[in-house]
Amino acid sequence: MDEPPRSAPMSASVPPGGGPGRIDRRAIVDGFPLFVPAVPFGFVVGVAVVESEMPAVVGWSTSLTIFAGASQLATVTLAGVATLWAVAVAALVVNSRHVMYSAALAPTFRHQPTWFRWVAPFFLIDQVFALVALRPDGSPASFRRYYLTLGVFFYLMWLAAVSLGMVVGPAIPTGWRLDVAPAVMFTGMVVISLTRSPAVVAAVVAAAVAFLAAGLPDRLGILVGAGAGVLAGAVAEARLVNDRAITDEQEFTP
Amino acid sequence: MNMSTAFVLTIVIALGTYLLRAVPALLLADRELPVPVQRALRNVGPAVLAALVVVSVASTADGGIEVEVAEVAALVAAGVVAWWRRNLIWSLLAGMAALWVTLVLV
Repeated sequence: MDEPPRSAPMSASVPPGGGPGRIDRRAIVDGFPLFVPAVPFGFVVGVAVVESEMPAVVGWSTSLTIFAGASQLATVTLAGVATLWAVAVAALVVNSRHVMYSAALAPTFRHQPTWFRWVAPFFLIDQVFALVALRPDGSPASFRRYYLTLGVFFYLMWLAAVSLGMVVGPAIPTGWRLDVAPAVMFTGMVVISLTRSPAVVAAVVAAAVAFLAAGLPDRLGILVGAGAGVLAGAVAEARLVNDRAITDEQEFTP
Repeated sequence: MNMSTAFVLTIVIALGTYLLRAVPALLLADRELPVPVQRALRNVGPAVLAALVVVSVASTADGGIEVEVAEVAALVAAGVVAWWRRNLIWSLLAGMAALWVTLVLV
């Protein structure tokens, strides 16, 4: 990812102002391996849409409007089963970790135009966050192209996976355990991102606390574990700075 | 559930999901965050993803905590290969292979 992004002279798929209106082929190359394990999850959502109390076309449309797997799953499975308020709250709580992604990207968004700041969050899913966080800071324009290419790529592929899941999902044997694939993939991503000791501290503490909190409803354990991990990481960062007596403010300037 | 109720419900959830993702970035983008906060935010990725993995394999539908040997084998294999090869595809293949082998053996 060190080389400058190569652009493919293909049709414009980014909003006006996104540079020369080209897609970033590098983003597709980076994004594809992350999409593969999301396919079975898309199938799970597709099957749930078919079985939902909600009209199938509305359940399907959540891929267009909500674009967040866990929230969509909560919405279609609880609709007609729980009260409307309970459905809405559960659907929002399961993805509350996105608040942390959003805060973490704020310093990067400082160098971006207003339209991008409003459009980009819609595409802020786990995979997009993980990839843009691993990416060394380039120019604002190349970051924008990379981000939007990833976002649109995952959006279209997710819609395809959920649609396909509604048709063929029920035929896949559960014995294949494809439901575990996203967790396996995220494990690989975490390990690859552990290049500094505070990140190791953050991940280990987050995992340990999340395990203890795994019984909480609505997957709140994710938020509790992540919060503990971020705090522990912050303490480790401070110790690192004290130990080496360095100021690392420069690292934050893209 | 009728069509209009379902549609309004999904739009409300879509709007809420968007706001969760947008508000922190929009509010914080033009502020100079204190250095300790900036440092803390650097580790959001590893922390959230690690917690996500653990909760997704350890929590059961009825609110319990349960760990399956095959899933642990899959995650360990994926982690070791990711560390060794620094490659997501190999990591994923190793993890799924370990899962299937363990399911057969255990």
